[in-house]
Amino acid sequence: MTIVLVGLNHKTAPVEVRERLAFTDEDCATGLHALVDGESVREGLIMSTCNRVEVLTATSVESVSDVFGRITTFLSEARNIPADLFNSHLYKHEDDGAVRHIFRVASSLDSMVVGEPQVLGQVRRAYALAVEAGTTGRVLNRLVHHALRVAKRVRSETGIAASAVSISYMAVELGRKIFGALDGRTVLLVGAGEMAELSARHLINAGATRILIANRTKETAERLANEFQGKAVDLSDLPKYLPEADIVICSTGAPDYLITYQIAKKALEKRRNRPSFYIDISVPRNIDPRVGEINNLFVFDIDDLEAVIASNIREREREAERAELIVESEVMQFQQSLRTLDIGPTLGALRQKMQQIARSELERQRSRLGELTPEQQEAIEALLIATVNKISHPVIHRLRNSYSIGEDDEVQAVRDMFGLED
Amino acid sequence: MKLILLTALAAYVIAAIHSLLAFVNKRRALESIALWTAGIGLALHTASLVLDWVQDGRYPLFGLRETLSFLAWTIVATYFIVISRYRAQALGTFSLPLVSILTFAAILTRDHTGGAEGAAGSTTAAWMFPVHTTLLVFAYAAFFVVFMASVMYLLQERELKLKTFSAFFHRLPSLTTVNEIATLAAGVGLMLLSLGILTGMLWSSERDGRIWHNDPKEILAGLTWLLYMVLILYRASARWRGRRAAWLGVLGFALVLCTFFGARLMGSYHVFG
Repeated sequence: MTIVLVGLNHKTAPVEVRERLAFTDEDCATGLHALVDGESVREGLIMSTCNRVEVLTATSVESVSDVFGRITTFLSEARNIPADLFNSHLYKHEDDGAVRHIFRVASSLDSMVVGEPQVLGQVRRAYALAVEAGTTGRVLNRLVHHALRVAKRVRSETGIAASAVSISYMAVELGRKIFGALDGRTVLLVGAGEMAELSARHLINAGATRILIANRTKETAERLANEFQGKAVDLSDLPKYLPEADIVICSTGAPDYLITYQIAKKALEKRRNRPSFYIDISVPRNIDPRVGEINNLFVFDIDDLEAVIASNIREREREAERAELIVESEVMQFQQSLRTLDIGPTLGALRQKMQQIARSELERQRSRLGELTPEQQEAIEALLIATVNKISHPVIHRLRNSYSIGEDDEVQAVRDMFGLED
Repeated sequence: MKLILLTALAAYVIAAIHSLLAFVNKRRALESIALWTAGIGLALHTASLVLDWVQDGRYPLFGLRETLSFLAWTIVATYFIVISRYRAQALGTFSLPLVSILTFAAILTRDHTGGAEGAAGSTTAAWMFPVHTTLLVFAYAAFFVVFMASVMYLLQERELKLKTFSAFFHRLPSLTTVNEIATLAAGVGLMLLSLGILTGMLWSSERDGRIWHNDPKEILAGLTWLLYMVLILYRASARWRGRRAAWLGVLGFALVLCTFFGARLMGSYHVFG
């Protein structure tokens, strides 16, 4: 069995190509049935997301380039686009290369944002579709399960997903750095834009309980207040509510500072110097930069956040190098485990057992045959072996089939029947 | 006794190394190895102290060797008390190597503890002497925790203000956590220091009839007491939260070090062994 992978991703193909090759869930099911013929392509799986389209197969064909060609033709026919439109964007992997690739994808090392967690779900989804279509067998089953394990190991042993790489999540990460757990913290949204809403959602998930919303248009504030079970407050009451807020997110279109040095200083005094965390994602800024000079007040504007995100991405890339080592050792382990499960030794043992029976029977009856010329001796042996091989042929054929579709029980039954040891 | 202490040292060294590795690699598994070995080290160390006490028939806190060993034991015990309340394993990364060094130094040091009984005196208040020393060693351990938490606070506060984060940033407990640890440890430390000074005075008045000798160690301890008192009062009045309080925590520990080692250099009568 050879594992073959053909695909393209955000690094090799522009979105115009990716979108034309993308498979919906239904397309996947019909496509898989067309692809997996049970002869040359034994098992198949299609992974299609906005960043990648990949076809993973297990094949019994000797020549891998045939399979590459088959999959390319399949993609062209299934999506109804000429092959030369995407052919130059394809990458083709076999065996170790294919295993390594799928491990890297599952571990989010091949993602646009290294370490993003969605890709693991996408791998699971693609696998579920293939299982449903009945196109996975012993090789792909093992491969995908192993890939999920590798992803888990990479996640827990490296810091690849440790730090935030989006502005909305940055609020949670920095909030945690300042306050520890965010349970029971109060968040004040000044301006109710999309980014503020998203950040608030993350903060609530992280434990923040009280949400105050100050917005120019009252309706938006009321809507968000309803959704977050918070409270809509008047924008002009900002100085009154500021002292209550542990985390403040500013995102209004106001042309000047809403939180001035004086307002912030007063608020902090009223908080008895308990630290506060202000995020200003509005341009022009809504928080006077001098506010950041006040002790126990931490202010991040949009540029600060972008800079931290850039450094977090670099940190992730450093961790990714450690992850690559893990992937490499797991590829070796997988190949080894696949070999021990190889059907080859079982078939060899079966043939040997049969031939041994033939030879020992001949040995027992040899004396009754009298003098034989070397030619005659050879002919008798050849006859016996040929008979035995003819008889065992259907058994071996059946074994191969059972093995390739993952019916371990049947393989075991034959082994027991003939008393084969490992 | 030496053998048990050596085994304890081995456990501390393993704990220190794993704690460092856990800090660098952010691995929980290494962290739990560090905790277990530190726990084993503490148990062995306790056994060694108890055996010393039983064998020599006097409290094992006298002279340089015993003080070093006892101080190491106190720091580990304090570390376990802190992490039972706060998720601040990073403290171990800084204190366990120190504990290893202190224990190692204790094993290397030779003592002449001949004057032990003489110094402690045979007055009715003799029992007060070990109480006095134990309270003070624990106070020092508490102030060491204040120091570590304050440094962690200052490091992170600075990075938050400058918006550039070093490798430390993702590995240290949050500002609020280290702040709480520092506040609590300063309070407990001050209480122990007060009681320690008080028992010292009582013991001294029983022995010599005077409570104050104008000894460098006594003066420094008095200053230390004053400084932590100021720290706590200002914190309580909410005027000095955060950075300034953390700087006091660092300064206070410098004073503690002076009290602990400086007195030795200035020829204090508090030097034994």
